[in-house]
Amino acid sequence: MPNALRLLNVREPWRGLALTFFMVAVMTAAIHVIILSVGLTRGSVLYLIPVLIASIRWGIVAALFAAVCGVIASAFFFFAPRYSFEIRDPQEVINLALYIFTAIVVSQLAGRLKRQLELSRRREIDLAELYAFSRRLAVAFDLSDIHSAIEDHLAAVIQRKVVLFAGAREANASDRHNNGSVPESVQKLVGDVAGGRRDAGAGVTVAGEAGDVWLVRPVAPKSPEFGVIAINFGRESGGNVDEMRARVDTVLVDATATLERLGVAHAISEARMRAQTDQLREALIGSVSHELRTPLASILGAATVLSTAPALRDDKRLQALVHDVRDEAERLNNDIQNLLDATRISSDGVKPHAEWADPADIINSALDRCRRRLSDRRMVLNLPADLPLIHVDPVLVQQALVQIFDNAVKYSPSGSRITLAARARDGRLILSVTDEGAGLTRAEEAQIWSRFVRGERHSATTSGSGLGLWIANAFIATNGGKMHAVSDGPGLGTTVAIELPVTQAAVPQLESDADE
Amino acid sequence: MNEPSAIVLVVDDEVQIRRFLRTGFELNGFVVHEAATGAEAIRSATLRPIDIVIADLGLPDMDGAEVVERIRSWSSVPIIVLSVRSSEAQKVHLLELGADDYVVKPFGMAELLARVRVALRRQSRAASGEPIVKVGPLTIDLSARAVMLNGSRLNLTPKEYRLLQVLAQHAGNVVTHQHLLKEVWGSVHVQDTHYLRIFVRKLRQKIEPHPDSPRILVTELGVGYRLAQSGQDGEGATAWTGGASPAKADG
Repeated sequence: MPNALRLLNVREPWRGLALTFFMVAVMTAAIHVIILSVGLTRGSVLYLIPVLIASIRWGIVAALFAAVCGVIASAFFFFAPRYSFEIRDPQEVINLALYIFTAIVVSQLAGRLKRQLELSRRREIDLAELYAFSRRLAVAFDLSDIHSAIEDHLAAVIQRKVVLFAGAREANASDRHNNGSVPESVQKLVGDVAGGRRDAGAGVTVAGEAGDVWLVRPVAPKSPEFGVIAINFGRESGGNVDEMRARVDTVLVDATATLERLGVAHAISEARMRAQTDQLREALIGSVSHELRTPLASILGAATVLSTAPALRDDKRLQALVHDVRDEAERLNNDIQNLLDATRISSDGVKPHAEWADPADIINSALDRCRRRLSDRRMVLNLPADLPLIHVDPVLVQQALVQIFDNAVKYSPSGSRITLAARARDGRLILSVTDEGAGLTRAEEAQIWSRFVRGERHSATTSGSGLGLWIANAFIATNGGKMHAVSDGPGLGTTVAIELPVTQAAVPQLESDADE
Repeated sequence: MNEPSAIVLVVDDEVQIRRFLRTGFELNGFVVHEAATGAEAIRSATLRPIDIVIADLGLPDMDGAEVVERIRSWSSVPIIVLSVRSSEAQKVHLLELGADDYVVKPFGMAELLARVRVALRRQSRAASGEPIVKVGPLTIDLSARAVMLNGSRLNLTPKEYRLLQVLAQHAGNVVTHQHLLKEVWGSVHVQDTHYLRIFVRKLRQKIEPHPDSPRILVTELGVGYRLAQSGQDGEGATAWTGGASPAKADG
């Protein structure tokens, strides 16, 4: 776009002059016709028309050209002696003076008008950009959103390549961008400015590769957290660079005002702190999980070895102790696993590995994993033989079911019945687990899916982190499903259901060769 | 005691894990060698006769997968890896590299012993060329291509038999979906797990006493299938607590 404009600028005067000359020629012909048909003798005043048009359209040069052409034409064609450039009539001199005066005045006026028009048009674009900018800032989610908003805004308004470096730390290292497009001399200067080793104030220009001129300056000298920008001015000469620097100043003043109004500086430092906290938390949880689980693996393994050891095998009391060690360690292991799952869900989400799975396999696998926990409940299975295949991550669905079984066991009395039913209906597969336990109050029904929420009625008598159903819900949601919990009321049992999509049309058919 | 003097190489960098494994194996009549690093494990496996390798995945000097790959490049010794939960893709990868089986940490000794016995039995069967595989009431005669349930011959389609045959060749060990699909349907169908699901359903109708809760052809969620062997009654094959009380698992 800028290149095309410049090209037009070069050509414009010549085109204007040519058109002016053409207009004068047309006017000469028209005056001829008027003189012949109407009998007027003083038609030369009509040459003011090309002068006016030229001064409005193409500026003072074309206007003066029109004036001179008009005078020459009227001297040649219409004043005695005709067909000669000789001027005898003083009227001719007055005409020339009048044309020139008009040309100057009108072209000045028109020029000023045009500049004002251009200015207000640009202002309007700037305002629109600024508005878009603040809207984008308002929805910016993190630091890099804010930075790319600043960058895009400047690039849109200045119409040049703009690269924003977020801060001292990132100036030297690779940024969100591929810095390959920013010359090293510029990157070094950015590093100096961002690091405070060089006071750039209103900006420093530096020559990049291939004769490009780059401007490097802080976005806002008073607020370093907005970063440092490098703008490629291209191959501009002194005057143009000054003009563009002035423009950059204006745009940055507006942008900074917007940034300050929205409290972006605060948001940026907060986001930075949050990112650091997240990193710290993940590292901590990663190491905690390793540090806790490795000894747990030893404890559990050792306990199982002990329980078979001849010295303990026949002593019931010692056996019971060893079993306690095992059970408690297992519970601890489950809690750690839950914490890890919760971190995985809230930090980067869970990515399901979907495959075609048989719901019966998932159910059997979940029952296997909970078999010890379910051993003193009466398990009732209600599974049709022809359940449709589902396209899910079977391991995640199994883990969700395990969480539901855990909950059912936790909140129901020993010896009570737990029913697992599966059915396919309306393109959905529904797995429901019904217990005869504590049930839910209305309030509990509403908050059962929240994190760290545990039934207040039971907090004294049962253990747990309040993560189980929240994890189950997240695992099911990532497979495109939903969960529900209903209860007839406190003490009347709970039904927790998993609903997963079954798209009949999408269930692949066996190719004929597969079917023998 | 099936293999009274089998030699186990335990590869783990945690001394506590090595200690309980050593005790557990020795109590069950095994001879135990230990290695704390991958390099040590590979050296040990080259220098001494080893019947089975138990390898942890998180070793300080090299990835457990590399240990499996390097041992497998010259030896057919059974390898069981100790894996962590939530990494089915990793389990599949290890099995494809040549591991015979995996046990999920934390695990119970009974479960590991059951897996070890199955792997050793498979090894000795392969060495002796024994063509008969028995799984509970099911008998598969690989040489006669015959399948019997409680003594009466079953009528299987060629693909059903092929599926059962591949599983029987690895009886007791898990076989990945990809391996089964490739062996039965050819390599273009390795992604078509629905073929497997549908055929396994049909096969279970014929070979399982209770097809709804299979005990012979067991699913390893996200990994593959396993033909359960005695000592692994199918139940609790993945859970460390296993339900199988140690005495029962020993049987």
